[in-house]
Amino acid sequence: MADELVSLTIDGVPVSVPKGTLVIEAAKQVGVLVPHYCYHPGLPVAGVCRMCLVDIEKAPKLQIACATQVAEGMVVRTQSPQAKSGRMGVLELLLINHPLDCPICDQAGECELQDFTFQEGRPATRYSPDYAKRFNPVEDFGPDVLYVPNRCILCTRCVRFMEDVAQEPVLNVSERGDRAFIGIHSDGRLDHPWAGNVVDLCPVGSLLSKDFLHKARAWELDKAASICTGCSQGCNVTLDTRENVVVRVRPRPNLDVNRYFICDHGRMNYRWMNRGDRIEAPLVRRDGELHATDWDEALDVVASRLRGAGGTAVALVSPRVSTEALFFARELFRGHEWSGAFQVVMGEEAPLAGVPNLALRAERAPNGRGAELLGYRRDYASALAAAETAAVVLVLDEPDIAVRTAGKLVYVGTVLPERARDAEVVLPIANVAEEEGTFVNRDGRVQRYFQAKPAPGMTRPAWWVFAELVATLQGGGHVATAADAFDRLAASVDAFRGLSYPQLGFAGPR
Amino acid sequence: MGKTLEQLGEILTRYPTKQAALLPALWLVQEARGWISDRNMAEVAEVLGLTPAYVKGVVTFYTMYHQHPVGKHFVQVCTTSPCNVCGAEAVVKALLDATGAKELGATSPDGKWTVIEVECLGACGFATPVLVDDDFVESVSAEKVPDLVKRYK
Amino acid sequence: MGYPHKPHPKETVVLSKHFGEADARTHKGWVKRGGYESLAQALTMEPARVIDIVKESGLRGRGGAGFPTGLKWSFMPKEKKKPHYLCVNADESEPGTFKDREIMRWTPHALLEGAAIAAHAIQAEVVYIYIRGEFTEPWAVMEKALAEATAAGVFGVIKLYLHRGAGAYICGEETALMNSIEGKRGNPRIKPPFPAAAGVFGMPTTINNVETLAAVPLILKKGAAWYKGLSLSSPKSTGTKLFSVCGHVQQPGNYEVTMGFPLKDLLYDLCGGMPPGRTLKACIPGGSSVPILNREETEGCLLDYEGVVEKGSMLGSGGVIVFDDSTDMVYQIMRLARFYAHESCAQCTQCREGTAWTTKILERILSGQGKTADLDLLLDLADNMTGKTICVLSDSCAAPVVSGIKKFKKEFEDYIAGRRKPVMVA
Repeated sequence: MADELVSLTIDGVPVSVPKGTLVIEAAKQVGVLVPHYCYHPGLPVAGVCRMCLVDIEKAPKLQIACATQVAEGMVVRTQSPQAKSGRMGVLELLLINHPLDCPICDQAGECELQDFTFQEGRPATRYSPDYAKRFNPVEDFGPDVLYVPNRCILCTRCVRFMEDVAQEPVLNVSERGDRAFIGIHSDGRLDHPWAGNVVDLCPVGSLLSKDFLHKARAWELDKAASICTGCSQGCNVTLDTRENVVVRVRPRPNLDVNRYFICDHGRMNYRWMNRGDRIEAPLVRRDGELHATDWDEALDVVASRLRGAGGTAVALVSPRVSTEALFFARELFRGHEWSGAFQVVMGEEAPLAGVPNLALRAERAPNGRGAELLGYRRDYASALAAAETAAVVLVLDEPDIAVRTAGKLVYVGTVLPERARDAEVVLPIANVAEEEGTFVNRDGRVQRYFQAKPAPGMTRPAWWVFAELVATLQGGGHVATAADAFDRLAASVDAFRGLSYPQLGFAGPR
Repeated sequence: MGKTLEQLGEILTRYPTKQAALLPALWLVQEARGWISDRNMAEVAEVLGLTPAYVKGVVTFYTMYHQHPVGKHFVQVCTTSPCNVCGAEAVVKALLDATGAKELGATSPDGKWTVIEVECLGACGFATPVLVDDDFVESVSAEKVPDLVKRYK
Repeated sequence: MGYPHKPHPKETVVLSKHFGEADARTHKGWVKRGGYESLAQALTMEPARVIDIVKESGLRGRGGAGFPTGLKWSFMPKEKKKPHYLCVNADESEPGTFKDREIMRWTPHALLEGAAIAAHAIQAEVVYIYIRGEFTEPWAVMEKALAEATAAGVFGVIKLYLHRGAGAYICGEETALMNSIEGKRGNPRIKPPFPAAAGVFGMPTTINNVETLAAVPLILKKGAAWYKGLSLSSPKSTGTKLFSVCGHVQQPGNYEVTMGFPLKDLLYDLCGGMPPGRTLKACIPGGSSVPILNREETEGCLLDYEGVVEKGSMLGSGGVIVFDDSTDMVYQIMRLARFYAHESCAQCTQCREGTAWTTKILERILSGQGKTADLDLLLDLADNMTGKTICVLSDSCAAPVVSGIKKFKKEFEDYIAGRRKPVMVA
């Protein structure tokens, strides 16, 4: 489908874009960021903040780049004196009622008002202290969102998100003129399953997450690309950590999966990544009790148990474990009569109405599809039954299951369950924030996640644990990196053929 | 409330969307009960397939809709420049005195009067125009105010 | 009731011919006066032919923009693929302007007939007449007239509805008016799209002012050439205009004069001049949103679109606000700025914040606390508020400020320097 291309010049740089492209988007393509607030590619155009004023040759007045479509031969100047003066004017006016809250405002360091003012604003305000600033008290909008009206610049992104994308208009603009503020009806609360996105969308510190309130400064945060583990949608996220503790989850744009948004369930679903009650060292049974040991001994014990045992092997795995780990866990039992199963916690689906194919999915785990593609089945009941008479039972990161077996139980997981006291060996692994790996979402999309914080104690990635055992028991060389692990997987399983870490990158398969 | 919204039936036929009947619906509510509460907004929203928040955003935009009870007689006085240079502010003062309301926007102790200043009422050649409820009174001067107030019980 | 003064001999009585005749407001009375013949004729004509006649007449929008009416109608799609709409702008809220209310309460049928003819010309079957909420008397008169005329069957398939506003000057802006009809906040829309392409309910729409439409039946009846001939400044500005004169004149009111009429004559002759012992200081010729003229400019100004531009202002709505030498110009400009600050819809940053800040600076000047830098600041603010927003409310606030400081600078300086007693509390 060939789009008709339009050629224009932006700040002297020629660019060709499809007809209908907005000037602000065309500018991005040549590395020009036109300052803006109300514009957002995931929302309908409003054109109200007036921040993106640019000079367009032959146009008598400055134009807003977010609402102007490209035209053949158009010459756009974003840095002309008039354009800069126009934008400086907007910034000054935005700041006259804006409180000097930076020292106490969560947005500081990731605030677009700070950024653009620093870039092209006035060095000092001309708004005399004789004039009062507009004042309204902070409002609690609902489960997670606080509204600080004094900081609001009325860009209306939040209103447009709720109206157009969530399709539940619970936010409004109330009043008129400089008395205007974002309002909510007394009956209403911001409890829509996707409402938390308004906090991300807010360019300033006006809409705040109660969960994140005063938890960290933006510049203290390290960021890692990850995939949400809340359900099978596979939304791309960024994990923000402060001193190796995950403090916030935010959406990472991916036009093919979640566009610019994540649901509140996923957004709040990170505390478990910081749990302290982890299995910190490998444990082996000796004299009827589990004793901590090192990896060499622990792996030796597992290998020897497996080497000796014939018969059936049953693997009961968590659908929150990486595809690489699931693959090697299966490989481990080559030579056994093997059955693998997983079960998924289910919940209510909550779509984001304004985006096709995006919802908080009923399946509340990120890798059910990956497990399926690797031969694991959903028939948990028969797997449990088979486990009773199996020679070896592997339980992979399912602390709550009640499995009884006459054979050897190997528990590989992040936290130690009560039942694991019956295990021969307990091997500690990293969680999703502590390793690299992939998940396969419900649409069969393979997506990478990256390490956000160090794995605690002696924990190792699950793929490494199984790959080491496979190398020991079956030969074929050690696997050094997660990328190599994935390559082995891709070489072996049809569904993954042709894929590789470099190819998947941050956005998944093309 | 129900009877009020029945009148909406005919109004709805005038527009291709239910939403367009919102301003007329709000007028019906205000005519029936004198002001528009949060609950009324929710009721209107339900009838028109809108959210309460949406209706509230509209109500708060238009200054003629009252969001809280006002005096039995609601008085609007224009004080924009053309009337301003013809004594409008004196008319306001006279009204605040004569009605006992004392302060703009406040209701008089006997509950009978609320007086507010408004922007241009579109009768600049007949300064100063005063809207008492739906009575558009022209050419009001400070001297004429006491008689004007007496006309209303 | 109003003020049906007897026409001054220098008036050219066309639209205002039946002002003051209670009988003219009834359908029967209007028919007796020759009404609804033009409509009956127009309904038999091709829409394009009607548009041509109006184009030929040179009629320009009387709401303020002065856009050629026939040309505006011709922007509507020739081939009707979707419902077309006509919206009548009876939101008259521009300070100084009070002509549309007179047309509605004395000659409602002139408006109804003109609207129906326009609807036919643009192939619209539905007309919304948006009347500001405060116009209780015009509303009552229009309601009754509409019911009578509809019952008499004059409109054919065209349906006319009254729609009541609720207190927002900004709803006089054509796209805000459409949003208000749709049941939304009266926010102006960004253009494109233009109303003729996607207007009310997303359908092709034309918006016309009351006074503009009231002229249409006569143009059809008496011809385009007749309408052109009425004016002293044909072909650029044709026909007559109702000028709403208010403020410091002996006889304020609506005066209908031919285009090109001298403003001096309007004020000193028709309106009886200044109050006793007073002299003219300033005049805003076209509603408060246009630049202020000083005495010399006023006395040399001809009242047509080009003539007023020549003097540095605009004809606008034709709301003539007169200030005599007793006027505190700084105070009145502050009061105008406050008007715009109250009416700003809040979308655009420059308008929302700028109108309020402008008002605060002027209030502080009036309180005796003003600084010399305030004047440059006001002018810089006005520059930021001009040409950068969705609609021109922001520019309208800037106009009196810029022209006021330019032409009455001493009054501002007197307050700032403490030569004049403060009139406001800080």
